[in-house]
Amino acid sequence: MLSRNLCGAGALALVLAAAGHAAPATAGEYSLTVDPITVRTSDFSRKGVGFNSGSPGPVLRFKEGEDVTIHVTNNLSEPTSIHWHGLILPYDQDGVPGVSYDGIAPGETFTYTFPIVQAGTYWYHSHSDFQEPDGAYGAIVIEPEGREPFRYDRDYVVVLADAHPHRGHRIMRNLKMMPDYYNRQQQTLFDFFRDAGDMGFDAAVADRLDWGDMRMMKTDIEDLQGFTPLINGMDPEQNWTGLFEPGERIRLRFVNASAMSYFDIRIPGLEMTVVQADGNNVQPVKVDEFRIAVAETYDVIVRPREDRAFTIFAESLGRTAFARGTLAPREGMTAEVPELREPPLLTMADMSLAPGMAGMDHGGMDHGSMDHGSMGGVTHTMADGTVMQGMDHGSMDGGAMDHSMHAMGAPAQADPFYAPGSGLMPAAANGGKFLSYADLKAQAPLYEDRDATREIELRLTGNMERYIWSINGVKHADSEPIRLTYGERVRFKFVNETMMTHPMHLHGMWSIIDNGNGEWDPIKHVVSVAPGTTVYMETEVDAPGQWIMHCHLSYHMDAGMMRKVIVEGGPRAAGVTSPVSGG
Amino acid sequence: MLSKKTTLAAIAGTVLSMLASAPAALAAGSDGHGHGHGGATGEPGKPGDVTTTINVTMYDNYYEPEEITVKEGETVRFVITNAGRFVHEFNIATPDMHEAHGPEMMMMMEHGVLMPDRIDWAAAEAMQQSMGHGMHEEPNSLLLEPGQSGELIWRFPDHAELEFACNIPGHYDSGMVGNVMLTH
Repeated sequence: MLSRNLCGAGALALVLAAAGHAAPATAGEYSLTVDPITVRTSDFSRKGVGFNSGSPGPVLRFKEGEDVTIHVTNNLSEPTSIHWHGLILPYDQDGVPGVSYDGIAPGETFTYTFPIVQAGTYWYHSHSDFQEPDGAYGAIVIEPEGREPFRYDRDYVVVLADAHPHRGHRIMRNLKMMPDYYNRQQQTLFDFFRDAGDMGFDAAVADRLDWGDMRMMKTDIEDLQGFTPLINGMDPEQNWTGLFEPGERIRLRFVNASAMSYFDIRIPGLEMTVVQADGNNVQPVKVDEFRIAVAETYDVIVRPREDRAFTIFAESLGRTAFARGTLAPREGMTAEVPELREPPLLTMADMSLAPGMAGMDHGGMDHGSMDHGSMGGVTHTMADGTVMQGMDHGSMDGGAMDHSMHAMGAPAQADPFYAPGSGLMPAAANGGKFLSYADLKAQAPLYEDRDATREIELRLTGNMERYIWSINGVKHADSEPIRLTYGERVRFKFVNETMMTHPMHLHGMWSIIDNGNGEWDPIKHVVSVAPGTTVYMETEVDAPGQWIMHCHLSYHMDAGMMRKVIVEGGPRAAGVTSPVSGG
Repeated sequence: MLSKKTTLAAIAGTVLSMLASAPAALAAGSDGHGHGHGGATGEPGKPGDVTTTINVTMYDNYYEPEEITVKEGETVRFVITNAGRFVHEFNIATPDMHEAHGPEMMMMMEHGVLMPDRIDWAAAEAMQQSMGHGMHEEPNSLLLEPGQSGELIWRFPDHAELEFACNIPGHYDSGMVGNVMLTH
């Protein structure tokens, strides 16, 4: 039942404007349609899926404390669904077909009703098939009941996406057939001769054999390339622009709605004060640049004082493409667009920490005595469970330079959430401050800090050669659900044994990253786990029902890096096994 | 007249700052317009000259009120209360001075002196020993732990662009700053 009373038929059939990025809506009742659309960029046009005939869909603006009713009509010829990413709600409203409900059949309308119990920036997307990579995503902005712990004069949603000229189905088919299908940065014969010149022919051959053994390449930072990055549906040429008056504080609500792509974001000439991560307020931290994992959100405040334009520049992690937007005092103004930096190469250091791949020889490496003790919840763990106390990378540096350390000659500050010596260590383009997970401290912790009641180890595993992605070596289809008990506090141990970074997302409950800040450990819904690292997160199990946990890279999830999560006990346990009516 | 009786804790009037920069701040406040009306920022006031009391409450991370109005040359008693969960500062200065003060606060945070919700006095002592920088009082500001209150008496100049602000890292930049409006 709705506690909120809406008057007038107009409100009932409220349809949000599809175009534009800010469609303020009357609180309470919303209608969305899921439609076949054409995604148009300067590079390509292709068929896709959108909401209210657009991609991204309209910004949904809710208010903390309200009960929302959302009618979702499926105009596709296939089933669909909408998942409210990061929202805390009853499990049968979570929008995962086969777990929360049956999904929404073609021609049907499903009505979601749930209370809004939080504030901040979130997003929504289809959880069916590859509809999200095909364009079915949009932002959610929830206004808090009370005052925000920061001030701004205007705000903009900045939704990033990696629109690909191929539809999701085709991409997955190609990846399954040939995992390096979309890798355009493969090393060439020319590279081989250059390496042979640098390190000698035998060493170059050995290097190639090592990499071949591991079923991967040094350039496996992004397994999907060739996409066009978008900001609010606009490519770099179309140049999404947000206006400001000099001196104003602008809140930028960054959402990474990409299927596969991480971005490093900066606004040359402006410092950014990060005030929110994944919708939860954090103690403000000033940075020059930050990395946004797939499905994360970050809210930053900037204060341009000059009467000029600034470029919002978001480079993909593999440096194969960038999104670009502009902040400007007047429409049509632009600022310089930086060059893409050199692509990072995974180093053998990365791989040595991920021996879960094919038989690798560790004999050549010196597991020395670096002290990682001060790194909060991050350690570097071998597949056999022994904790790495560090290692000598000297013998492995051959051809694999750590490019991120060389960016602009700036010494990178070591980020404990990346394997030491890895090619992935972020560094700010201007040599300044790059946000680390370690910097995130909750502004107002949601839960009392207490010891976890038990630990669950989840090894992130994969076989790049066959494009199988799994957890503990078992893909979702072959797995048993993770069973949690209402009221416990579970400590999840993510051990990334692959060479890819995985943004892990648990539905329905918060993910509290152990970043060494104790009671201030930040509260998130996505935990990004870099290659060769172990990251701990804790969850207060306070949401009965059945949920999922998965890697938010669309093709990894589809390939099997996912688990069903069942919360037993608690107030609504009785409903868990009964079928949920849809439509 | 005081609307609220407050106790000035021994530490409440102490400001974390590097010694090196403090004279700069004070110098800015005492040159230019000569004595009598204070300088660019004003000067510490005498209790006997107080004509107005202004209460300011500090929350996480903002002030109430967010703007104050005082008369040119007026001596004001500020009664500041930290009602938040974090350490906050009430500092009257020009925007440039606030900007210069920020890195010092950052250093205090990096040395573990400035914790989110308290000041680590042992760490402050250690920092003083090792670096020669430490805590000292500045008359234009108060640094308060959660629950603390303090007073500050300030004589405003005739002309100035002044803000009251919190220079705990991130706080100023996320909006914990207010304008001082000077009127005839």
